[in-house]
Amino acid sequence: MRSVLFALSFFFFACQQKQTKQTIIPVPLGTDQSITEQIQYASVGKTRLSDYGFFEGRLADLKPSEQVMPYELNTPLFSDYALKKRFIYLPKGEKIGYQEKNVLDFPVGTVLIKNFYYSARQLGNIADKILETRLLIHERDGWKALPYIWNTQQTEAYLEITGGLLPTSLQNKGVVHYTVPDMNQCKSCHDKSGTMTPIGPTVRQLNRKAVASDTNQMLLLADKGWIGLPDHTLPQLAVWNDPASGSLNERARAYLDINCAHCHNDQGPAKNSGLNLTYFETDPYRLGVNKKPVAAGRGSGNLKYGIVPKKPGGSILIHRMQTTEPGTMMPELGRSLPHDEGIALIREWIEKM
Amino acid sequence: MKTTSFALILLGLVSCTKTAEYNPERNFSNNQKSILTSFILAQDSSVIELPAGHFQFDKSLILEGKSNVTIKGQGKDKTILSFKNQTQGAEGIRVANCKNITLRGFGIEDAAGDNIKVTDTDHILFEELMVGWTGKVDSTNGAYGLYPVICSNVTVRNCIVMGASDAGIYVGQSDTVLIEGNTTYWNVAGIESENSKEVIVRNNISYDNTGGILVFDLPGLTQYGNNIEVYGNNVYENNRENFAPLGNMVSVTPPGTGILILATKGVKIHNNTIRNNKTIAVGMVSYALLEAMGGDQNTGGGGSREELEKQNQLDVNYDPYVGNIHVYDNTYENTYLLPNLNNDFGKLFLLKFGASLPQVAWDGLQSPNYYLADGSINPSYVICVNEAEEVKTVNLDASNEFAGLEENPAIFNCN
Repeated sequence: MRSVLFALSFFFFACQQKQTKQTIIPVPLGTDQSITEQIQYASVGKTRLSDYGFFEGRLADLKPSEQVMPYELNTPLFSDYALKKRFIYLPKGEKIGYQEKNVLDFPVGTVLIKNFYYSARQLGNIADKILETRLLIHERDGWKALPYIWNTQQTEAYLEITGGLLPTSLQNKGVVHYTVPDMNQCKSCHDKSGTMTPIGPTVRQLNRKAVASDTNQMLLLADKGWIGLPDHTLPQLAVWNDPASGSLNERARAYLDINCAHCHNDQGPAKNSGLNLTYFETDPYRLGVNKKPVAAGRGSGNLKYGIVPKKPGGSILIHRMQTTEPGTMMPELGRSLPHDEGIALIREWIEKM
Repeated sequence: MKTTSFALILLGLVSCTKTAEYNPERNFSNNQKSILTSFILAQDSSVIELPAGHFQFDKSLILEGKSNVTIKGQGKDKTILSFKNQTQGAEGIRVANCKNITLRGFGIEDAAGDNIKVTDTDHILFEELMVGWTGKVDSTNGAYGLYPVICSNVTVRNCIVMGASDAGIYVGQSDTVLIEGNTTYWNVAGIESENSKEVIVRNNISYDNTGGILVFDLPGLTQYGNNIEVYGNNVYENNRENFAPLGNMVSVTPPGTGILILATKGVKIHNNTIRNNKTIAVGMVSYALLEAMGGDQNTGGGGSREELEKQNQLDVNYDPYVGNIHVYDNTYENTYLLPNLNNDFGKLFLLKFGASLPQVAWDGLQSPNYYLADGSINPSYVICVNEAEEVKTVNLDASNEFAGLEENPAIFNCN
């Protein structure tokens, strides 16, 4: 204990000496952050979201400033029914490198900005409520993930490296234990061969109508001069809940790709399981069909195989999507509720195998 | 005096097999945020010194991408990290993508999944740790106690691990491993090496688990096991009912197993004391037999031969047979007359051997490459047993419905 206190005071003094004038950092309501922690966190990143200047006017309006562009994904990750407003910040004069399969090659200085909120309708309230903003910042020595928690007045979001728990009451769903990950938990998903990597913004995910216009997002990026496009047709991922966008198989595989494959790929944290759920996996066994679990622990739920064709009830995959018990549920982080609609999709996919 | 000690022994036996329960006194203080912060802000060469006391966490403590970090407590019974009320993450402590990490001198309890998982790390030392699950031993206990996977240069030394519904100490898909001086009890598997190579398991005590020490190779993974040496261990009374959740590979381990080798090549087992494991002291089986013998809930895999062929088709790099195994100079004792009868393996043993159980058994399943062209046994599949004369060894010939079952077979005399 003493040594921890000592370490804290060391940080405190070290930072104080560097600063010429004392700045008062307001403690956000709704978190238990202390001034000492704020100063400690300053060594990691800007302590306030507004300090970055990504947005103009009232912060909660999330009105993008120059060099910030909103985007959406065809099939997004499920996060306890939270809605997301996503933006790319690209430094002036920089360009994004086109990649056919992998996440686009964003230059150093890029920031991916993801705002998690519940809508007024979900809350049964008069206004939307933003809970959290996650930044993925591409620095010279790699990507860094920083979580910011919004205050109750929705005027500011503060860096909170230890994450937080924000119980929120939703219409129809009851109280959701919405969880802000701590800095190290971020890497539990954003890990590719030990390197922090973005997950969502691939061409196949971005290849869709833009948020506020009828123009395709990839064309919009090209028009802005942010990216050069090849002259062939761009790959496109199905929208998991839009049958017009793809076959059952395509939509199910899109869902698994974004919800599971960030870990379950050959370079991801779950590679030790031998289960590969990326969109490009063609070997049914590696997809889990009649594959025994290796290190599922009690996650196996008394079932023998990852996927038993035509038998969703006998498939470990469904069992782990349905449960909310830590140690058994999948994904391991980022949800406290089962995603009923997603489970229905995967059930149907297995039933018709 | 005599009656007292007799009663004590009886009591001891009863409490071991029926009411395994660990209820330590805990006075938790809330230090989650400061300890979590010390993990997040750790730099290369940091020492995270955990204070004495009992601390509770609702999520994993993660160390990620760091070198030369030491996490040390004030002693395995002085600093206790509890994850009893964990709501996020599966592990207690998770170390990933690190180099040269030491975990020493603390207790860790009740993680939802694994108490300590270390992945993709080179040079990891676990030392003087107390790892377990409180309350009654059962299937809701997390999976592994200590779980290094896809690591190299792993040392697990002088730890106590109990209560895991999978393996207490489990090393998976790793290279260059030393597991020594540990004590494991009340786990399904005391110590398990899986798909790991260059492994030494020595001078451990493993008792009152379902299986004492397991050496497994499973298909579809990043690498396969080889060159494993198990010696100087004291492996006794591993008769606990298997409480692993079904579907789990260790759930097919027969209660009463001392040492079990599954589908692995290149294993030496010597100079161990293997005592009073009811069913079998040393078992050597192919992937198929365990599958076929796992009991009613586990018989969906088809006949053993088909299962082997299937596994081979699914993963061409996987060899489901045992081979290149040397068993010698071990000390055996079994005062139990009957094997554990709650599983097919035990029933088979009773049927075939009555009250004269073998100490060392091979399932007898032969690879298509078992014989070389000249008729000799392929060195990759040789099994050599060199034990005292009174030690009973058998080839079960399981693929032929035990028709060719042979006691003390000549094929084992390969020295």
